[in-house]
Amino acid sequence: MHELEQPGTAISADVQGEPGGAVKVTLRGRLDVQTTGYCWNLLEERLRPLHPSSMNVEAGELAFYGGIGVALVRYLSEGGMTPGATVTVRGLSEEVERLLGTFTAEDFRTYKPRPPPRTRIPEEIGQGVKTLWRDMRGQIIFIGAATAGLAGVLRHPSQLRWREVRHVFEVAGCNALPVVGLFSFLVGLIIALESAKPLAQFGAQIFIADMIAISALREAGPLVTAIMLAGRSSSAFAAELGTMKVNEELNALTTMGLDPVRFLVVQRLVAALALTPALTLYAMLMSILGGITVMRFLGFPPLMIYHQMLTQVQLSDLVIGLTKALVFGLIIGGVGCMRGLETEGGPAAVGVSTTRAVVTSIILIFLTNTIIATVQYFMS
Amino acid sequence: MSAKGEIVIEVKDLKAGYGERAILENVNFTVREGEIVVVIGRSGSGKSTLLKHLIGLYPPLGGEVRILGEDVAAARGEDRRRILRQFGVLYQSGALFGSMSVIENVRLPLEEFTDLPEIGRELVALSKLKLVGLATAAELMPAELSGGMQKRAALARAMALDPRILFLDEPSVGLDPITSSGLDDLIKELSSYFGITFFIITHELASIFAIAHRAIMLDEHRRTIIAEGPPADLRDHSTDPLVNQFFCRRSEAGSTLSQTPAP
Repeated sequence: MHELEQPGTAISADVQGEPGGAVKVTLRGRLDVQTTGYCWNLLEERLRPLHPSSMNVEAGELAFYGGIGVALVRYLSEGGMTPGATVTVRGLSEEVERLLGTFTAEDFRTYKPRPPPRTRIPEEIGQGVKTLWRDMRGQIIFIGAATAGLAGVLRHPSQLRWREVRHVFEVAGCNALPVVGLFSFLVGLIIALESAKPLAQFGAQIFIADMIAISALREAGPLVTAIMLAGRSSSAFAAELGTMKVNEELNALTTMGLDPVRFLVVQRLVAALALTPALTLYAMLMSILGGITVMRFLGFPPLMIYHQMLTQVQLSDLVIGLTKALVFGLIIGGVGCMRGLETEGGPAAVGVSTTRAVVTSIILIFLTNTIIATVQYFMS
Repeated sequence: MSAKGEIVIEVKDLKAGYGERAILENVNFTVREGEIVVVIGRSGSGKSTLLKHLIGLYPPLGGEVRILGEDVAAARGEDRRRILRQFGVLYQSGALFGSMSVIENVRLPLEEFTDLPEIGRELVALSKLKLVGLATAAELMPAELSGGMQKRAALARAMALDPRILFLDEPSVGLDPITSSGLDDLIKELSSYFGITFFIITHELASIFAIAHRAIMLDEHRRTIIAEGPPADLRDHSTDPLVNQFFCRRSEAGSTLSQTPAP
């Protein structure tokens, strides 16, 4: 005989083995959210080793304070702790009996936890290709719709919601000035600083000026701006549109007869196309300023730096940098909006879309940058 | 069958609102164990605000709220958690955790706050889902459920720890009439079997008459309780025009929806 009692609580379970493999369990006291767990674990511990052929549960002095206690009685009466034994439960009030009846053993048996997904390599590959294909289809459709929308703006500029373009321009562009400025300045500073030592060996420190100017105009300016905007604005576009999609706002637009691409995407694209070159120009300046700071520190007079820069830098460098910026702007706006529109499912999916927007736009930015650099190398 | 149990919710001179803006003032009422109390009033009359102050999400701007004899808003640490464990809340939107399946949502409080074995948690969670008619949807994700199903799943989660008080914010919105009346039955059963107290915000007249022992009506112009009592009494005997309008589903005489009476 085991008398089990949790100190400080009012539950007791009396487990008594009887001849012929029978067991008598007497439960007394409160079966509430705190005591049930204790009672459950102890009964499990005592009953398992007994392997009884039958069990009588006396529950006349048991008070229930909710469904958790009822679940324990259900488990006992189904033989969950005494497999193979016949179980009788006595003394339950009519109400608890009724509640027991609402949750049958059948319910529990029909419930099967979802098996972990099996991963077979060919299937994985197939699924991957299918997803890739579907993604590509969606992207082509999106590019088509966005191009059509942009073309529409060119034809009827007044139809564009300029107020929203201004808003996006302000939030994504003007508010990014400090961070883009700081970052570009530091990149220019670091490039100059890192190259100062090796160039000093050849007495060629004055060429830092050329290097800074060319790298700022052709690479550092556009890339720093694009990466910043991918992290700052592409993600914001994806989150905004994703949330709208999840909240059925996009459906609302569609049923009003408004095309989400024309209504939401085009403004963002226009704003991104306008602000990326502008920010890039600013980033170029800040980057050169960073380099000049180092050169001044090394003792070069300002006029000398200025002339050295002008002898090497050509207008084409600036044109290439700004062209890149335009392409990057298109990528940042387009990818952000596309990932946002692709959002499927609940709020959690918005996070996924945001991540995908940042990753995709940064990958595309570097890919296009490489392509442009290669083409240019072979052309000149 | 008005219950005569101990007082579980006590509101004294409550001034409720956000920041400086008071939405309700001089709110006084008590709720006894096992009672089903509904809060009614037009949109914007402060029903959800009152609820948020009762469950301790916002501290009162004045006065006092006691749940099971204790001040939730002032309690800290382990004390606060102990009080919070004794009531469940069903939010208007359901507020299921989107990254977990339905049964994981219900199991979460059981995992955190009880020492039930795994099979026990599974069984309890499933029995709660069965109560709200969602046992077959246990493995689905919230995003895969309809609005009404999400609401019922959220109710199962609110009930997971067998709370003594259940706060329900518009539980029948988005439910079909059959499920909705099933929910009414469930509320009545839980209240009579286990003495669970219900504090319900609802607009559903049929449900109010079916389940409520008492109704509390709020008004945005007078910014306090304007009527309190058994719903049938309010309907038949109240002289307040607003109360009559509410129970008779009448709009204000001769006015359009946008016009509101002078305060």
